[in-house]
Formats: sequence, C-alpha cells, structure tokens
Amino acid sequence: MSDDRWLHALRTDPSPEFKAQLRGQLRPQDTAADAHRDWPRRTLIAAVVMILIAVLTSVPAVRASVVQFVSLLRVVNVVGVPVNSSHLDRLQAEDLQINALIGEHVQVLEDPGAPVDVSSLADAAVAAGTTLATPQWLPDRTQVLETAVVGERAVRITANSQRLQQVVDALGINDLRVPSGLDGQVVDVRVPPVVMIRYDHQNGRRTRLFQARTPQVMLPDNIDLPALGEIGLRILGLPPAEARQFAEAIDWHTTLIVPVPPNATSFQQVDINGHRGVLIEHQPRNQSPTVTIVWSTPERVFALVSIQGVAEALAMATSVR
Amino acid sequence: MAFVQVLPRRLASWITAEPDWDAVYAEQLPRVLNFFRYRLPHAADAEDLTARTFEKAWRARHRYRRDLAGFSTWLLTIARHVAIDYLRARQRYEPLDAAAAVASPGRTPEQRAVHSSDADRLAGLLATLEPRQRELIAMKYGADMTNRAIAQATGLSETNVGTILHRAVETLRGRW
Repeated sequence: MSDDRWLHALRTDPSPEFKAQLRGQLRPQDTAADAHRDWPRRTLIAAVVMILIAVLTSVPAVRASVVQFVSLLRVVNVVGVPVNSSHLDRLQAEDLQINALIGEHVQVLEDPGAPVDVSSLADAAVAAGTTLATPQWLPDRTQVLETAVVGERAVRITANSQRLQQVVDALGINDLRVPSGLDGQVVDVRVPPVVMIRYDHQNGRRTRLFQARTPQVMLPDNIDLPALGEIGLRILGLPPAEARQFAEAIDWHTTLIVPVPPNATSFQQVDINGHRGVLIEHQPRNQSPTVTIVWSTPERVFALVSIQGVAEALAMATSVR
Repeated sequence: MAFVQVLPRRLASWITAEPDWDAVYAEQLPRVLNFFRYRLPHAADAEDLTARTFEKAWRARHRYRRDLAGFSTWLLTIARHVAIDYLRARQRYEPLDAAAAVASPGRTPEQRAVHSSDADRLAGLLATLEPRQRELIAMKYGADMTNRAIAQATGLSETNVGTILHRAVETLRGRW
C-alpha cells in the first residue's frame, strides 16, 4: 500500500562488495558441502513421493512388477503419468497420514545405510558390483564433481486391503473395489545398488545421472495386476476411463510408471537409443527449470536430472553407453 | 519410517530438481539482509548476521525439507534464530543511533539524505516497539514475508500475526 511506503525506508540492496565477499565465503563451502551431502532428500515433489509411498505399499503392483515368484523385473518401457496433487490434499483432509497407514506393513530386510562417496567411477563400479554406463558426450568444461553409491536394499511389503480401501474411499473412488485375496500377500522388493554421478558444468549448472540394475520384485502369481494397476492409476489421478484403458493396455510386467509431478510444465515420451523414456520439464519454486529424463534398458534403469537445458540433457542421455 | 528411506526417496531423488543455488542466493540475500536491518541497529551487524545465516543454510541445505516449508521461510527461520542468539548474547538492544550507517549505494546524495532521514526515523521508532512486534515488522517489511509465512516461521497463528502487525504499524504510524 502506498501509505506504507515509509515502512520500507530501511530497506536497501546489498552492496556489490558484500555480495561478492559473501559469495566468496560460501563457494568453498559449496564444494565441501556437495562432497559430503547426503543423497538428495528434498521432497519438492512431496505429492509424488507420498503417492508413490501409498502405491508402493498398498498397491505394490503399480510400480511395474512381475507376476511369478522369483521372477526378475524387466523394465522395458517407461511411461509418465501426471499426478493430481488434489488427491494428496484430499487424503490429508481426511486425516489419512500415509506414513502412519503404511509404516506397519513394510519390513526392511536389507538396509545399506547412507550413500558412500567414492573417488572414481571405477570404485563406484566395484561398489555397485556392475559396470557403469556414462555419457560419452558432455558439454564443454564439464567435470565429474561427485560420485556416490548406495548399496542394495531389500524390503518386504505385506499388503493390507483395508488400508488400500481406505485410501480409495478417501479419494472418492467409488467405482473400484480392492481385489479380494490381496490381504496378507507378501511382496519382496530388492533394489540393486544405485550409482549417482554428479557433473559440474562450470557455469553454476549441474547434472546428476542415476543408474541401477533393474529392481527385482517378487510377488504371488495370483495377484490381479491390471486391477491393482487401475487403482494405482486412479490414486495418481488419472480419469476413470483413461485409467481403465491404460491399465488394460499396459504390460505391467515390463513397464515402469513414472509419476509426473504437479509442477511439471511438460512431459513427453522420448527415444533414448531405441528405448522408450520420459522427459519431464518442471520448475519448482526457487529453482531453475529442470529436466528429468527416465529411461531403461533391459538390464538397467537410468535417470538424468539437469538444469542445463533440454537439448543438452537429451544429448547427454542419448550418449550414455 | 523405514520405507520412506528406501524406494520412494530414491525414486523421488530421480525426479528431484537440482536447485540453482546462485539464483536462490541472488533472490534471498536482500530479504535476509533487510530482515536484519529492521531487527538490528547497525548495518555492519546486519551484514555479519546475514553472512552467518547463509553459511548455516549453505551447510545444512541438504536437510531442507520442501514439504515442510518454502525455501525462503526456511532461510528466514534460520535468520530468525541467528538474530535471537545474537540478541541474547548481547543481553540488550543497541541504541538505535546508527541509522546513518545504512549507506545506500546507488542513490544520489540528495536521495540518500532523504532516505537516510526516513531511515533514521524508522530505525528510532522500531527501537520503541516490543521485541515481538519488531521481529514481525522485520519479517514483514524487511524480509517481505507474507503473514502466512511469518506464522509458519514463528509458530504463531496467521490471525495473531495479522493482529500484532496491525498494532505495531499503528503504533509506528502514530509516532511517525
């Protein structure tokens, strides 16, 4: 308000000297902190995460899985599904705290602990027990800033149809029922070590490449995957007709569902060396436009997260060998 | 909760943005600096505490929880604690006679004289407010925070924030 202008009399811009001095103080800490930072924890896509948790626990099949015991998940396709953030709001309004709902149904069988920094890609490959694929093309002056590995992790999820039905009901999904016989079913998820390589483009921009061997999901063969998949898609926010069509058409044995965060500005299917992937552009508050590309080969799943721009991110992804 | 630390976080990290810290720095630095200018008497102290705030935030930025607060709210919460620690250590507020020290680079001498005069007056009046009122004025007019963000940072209700601010502004206006 104009009559409040006098209240701003004390405001001023930082002097250039102070800006430069402070930036100079922070820069060394920047590198040091980056070198010791934990695996990225920011939940800027909180809605996605929360829904993922719900999906992964109450509806284990929504994340592409296999229908036979001790079968290896083979992610061939990556498909993006937009998340409807209002669903999370509605769950919260119903006082359905997802963590509380699912916590008792997940047992950690193998916990690798915190990610471990390694000094070279070779060490990362050793730690991960596999060879590494890396971009064969990088923007000029790009350097590897950090390499870290988090070990294998295994969890056992015990399905609880009542909990899932609670979520479904809270979202007002009245036309679907949780399949009978789901209760008590056990799903084992084993995620091989994940390697993260962080690239510094020397212009304030960075890119991270994540890679892991294909996760292994074991679950009973009598689970109705399309039915559960449809429920999962509805939880994510797909309209009924679209979810039904999608759930029936999709091969749940080979498809990885990537929730597209509500702040996404666009997403599209992309071809990464003959493998279908998803490219998501989004701009979280206080952050630069970000490009995320998720794709897979029969053996591995990759994700590249960059603020370097679409063209260069795509060029890096397609050069990964 | 164990499972949160397993698959979802990892998947989440795959689609988590890389913050542009340079942009964040450029955007937030004036807000933090001005918060301290409203909270403290000396420009030199404001710069000092601003630097301390950014150093703390920089070191802890991987612990920032977006689902709990916006980045600026988180940063201003750190600034608020830095101010509290500083003021507690000093045990008293400095006399507010240093408004002339709030140099304003980029202004003409005439503009600076007018601005300095208003700044002097405002700085003097801020010193007469109750600490809680002054803190909220600093957040509102120094850091340019919304009442909701102030409520989140201070733990007060939004209504309470509005009431305190209204009274503080009325007090200042009456003395201006």
